[in-house]
Amino acid sequence: MARTDGLWRVLRGLALAAVLVFFLFPIAWIVLMSFQTNEQILQLPPRVVFTPTLANYAALISGKLHTAAGDLDVPFLRNLGNSVLLSTASVALSLLLGVPAAYAFARFRFRLGENIAFTLLSFRFAPPLLVLLPLSLYFQDLGLSNTYVGLIWVYQLICLPLILWIVRGYFEDASPDVEYAYRVDGHSWWRAFTRIAIPLAGPGIAAAGLLAFIFAWNNFVFALILASADKQPVTVGALAFVTASGIQYGQIAAAIMLSILPTLALALYAQRWLVEGLSLGAVKG
Amino acid sequence: MHEKAKDLCGAFTAGRVGRRELMRRMAALGVAAATAEVMVNAAATKAMAAGFDWQAHKGTAIKLLLNKHPYADAMIADLDNFKSLTGIDVAYDVFPEDVYFDKVTAALSSRSTEYDAFMTGAYQTWQYGPAGWLVDLNEYVKDPARTAPKYAWDDILPNLRASTSWSGKPGEAPGGPGAKQWAVPWGFELNNLSYNQTLFDKLKLAPPKDLPGMLETAAKITRDAGGPYGIGVRGSRSWATIHPGFLSGYTSYGGRDFTIEGGKLKAAMASPQSKEFTRLWVKMIQDSGPKNWATYTWYQVGTDLGAGASGMIFDADILGYFMNGGDNKERGHLAYAAFAAKPGAATPTSNVWIWSLAMSNASKKKDAAWNFMQWATGTDHLMFGARKKDMVNPIRASVWKDPEFLDRMKQGYPGYIEQYNATAPEAKIYFTPQPLFFNLTTDWAAALQRMVAKEVPVDEGLDKLAEQINRQLKQSGLG
Repeated sequence: MARTDGLWRVLRGLALAAVLVFFLFPIAWIVLMSFQTNEQILQLPPRVVFTPTLANYAALISGKLHTAAGDLDVPFLRNLGNSVLLSTASVALSLLLGVPAAYAFARFRFRLGENIAFTLLSFRFAPPLLVLLPLSLYFQDLGLSNTYVGLIWVYQLICLPLILWIVRGYFEDASPDVEYAYRVDGHSWWRAFTRIAIPLAGPGIAAAGLLAFIFAWNNFVFALILASADKQPVTVGALAFVTASGIQYGQIAAAIMLSILPTLALALYAQRWLVEGLSLGAVKG
Repeated sequence: MHEKAKDLCGAFTAGRVGRRELMRRMAALGVAAATAEVMVNAAATKAMAAGFDWQAHKGTAIKLLLNKHPYADAMIADLDNFKSLTGIDVAYDVFPEDVYFDKVTAALSSRSTEYDAFMTGAYQTWQYGPAGWLVDLNEYVKDPARTAPKYAWDDILPNLRASTSWSGKPGEAPGGPGAKQWAVPWGFELNNLSYNQTLFDKLKLAPPKDLPGMLETAAKITRDAGGPYGIGVRGSRSWATIHPGFLSGYTSYGGRDFTIEGGKLKAAMASPQSKEFTRLWVKMIQDSGPKNWATYTWYQVGTDLGAGASGMIFDADILGYFMNGGDNKERGHLAYAAFAAKPGAATPTSNVWIWSLAMSNASKKKDAAWNFMQWATGTDHLMFGARKKDMVNPIRASVWKDPEFLDRMKQGYPGYIEQYNATAPEAKIYFTPQPLFFNLTTDWAAALQRMVAKEVPVDEGLDKLAEQINRQLKQSGLG
């Protein structure tokens, strides 16, 4: 019996190792690439043992890229800052607008309520390019073209429906009786919302916020069409390493490492709420 | 000392002193080479001002949309000279090439006034021009009041001037009667052979002279080089697969993309010439091309040559030029040769890609934008770019005669000047201009992929391609 258990443990360990290698190998390879020169990366066959260099990170931080065609300016850190600003501000605004709206849709029945909720969801259906060209005309007229405010507004197309529909499910799952009991004690509707409903839906709000942040972070096309080069996020900025005079694989790898850090840090921080939130919201009783 | 140096620069720009003599005398005056270059350029800028009011739009601010490219880098490095010459302030947005044309198309189609001038390829003007998004630059080039006498429009290579103009009528050749000048050439690429000289020496190979020879040489490299494959060419499902080596060779075999019958376009991909060429092309890739050829773009073709993973490429000459420098493993080992695909052909028939400057029709500062365009495509700036930066290939005949540029190229890029001289006379755009250019060439690339993957025999694949394209032409009223 003990022998069977031992064998089982070994097999399970091997299976786990195989799964880990499968999923983590690309990331591990990118980490290694980020410490290699282009010449080392393109060696045939590839080598795991090499003399590491910090040149790729130095190039990103200094903003100077050395290529076959001379030195290029690469404003990667500005792109990274733009991504942080746009994603954070967009999610914050979406939470500010979306959470009360989700509560209203969950708790109250009002005329055209479902239609409005569906309309907000339908923002996610339209291909971005379909709306971006007409939108760019309006933005020019309104003076919102090439502004952070305009971009954060457009990012609501990504964040707001996501937050509204996910958080609505959590409010619906939470029993309204707790809020009624709190209000019977003489508290206002606003206090019931902030002290009872929001804490109860907290994991859902964290999960929705994180998902919205990831979607906003990965967005590419909105800033590309509506803003100048100085307001581009990291998704557009990373393409600067693919130049006519060659692909800078090392700098791309270093850029990937730097650009996943904010999302990774946020995900690790919000992990406990995220797992709880995602699993709670998955099934509606 | 400073006054003497300035006088010397003035004498140089007036043509009384040669460059070598200038640098020697500058050194004797104790002026460092870098400082001398700046002084020479400033003197050239001053000389350029003669006979034309460059300050007419002083105080105006214009904005450019640029692709991240060595041409743009060279221009930015010299931009202060333009600003001091004209008093025009220039802002610019630089976007990576992968997304660049999306940005251009969005800006033009939304009639954005943000950008006054921008970089474009000639093929793109077939869409932008007839849509009314571009200014016909004939009204500037041909107007002596708006164009400096020293601009020398005729110094720009005639095939490039023609290739960036078009009447807008589908099927009519670029540069034909009534053609509008949608853009001004800025830098261009020929399609020829770039090869690894070290590897060729090791295997005792000579650069192939024609397509059957290329098949043999590529097969020998794949067989005997101990790792590298024979020939790098593009293969992704994109128009960019068709326009470099493929169309250059195809044209050499007498192939055309379309014929015109009764004013209507008809696909010519099923012609005997097309089939003869395509059979060889497909076999070459199957025998000696990269394993994942169907994903190959400019980047992979170049990277493999620079990394020593391929023996040669039939692609843009400037791709081979870039791969001969930087931190590429094979830097300094590459050489260049002209290539006429058809056995016995007198000269190569290279299709060209031309990076050009165009003016947005929505611009509110067109005259100032034109001043920038004529400066950026003028002799002085292009000479600076060719000597000191990577503005190859230059679009002006005078730059190709410049001894300093020629010396630089001969020393670092063996065979480059020779391949240019052999190819330039017949180098032009060999596509037939029509508004479905990008769709139909993408279909062409997709058909090639199926043939290389042996999903369909070459003859049958080309017949089907021609039928499919004729159908699309009919649907759009072009065929």
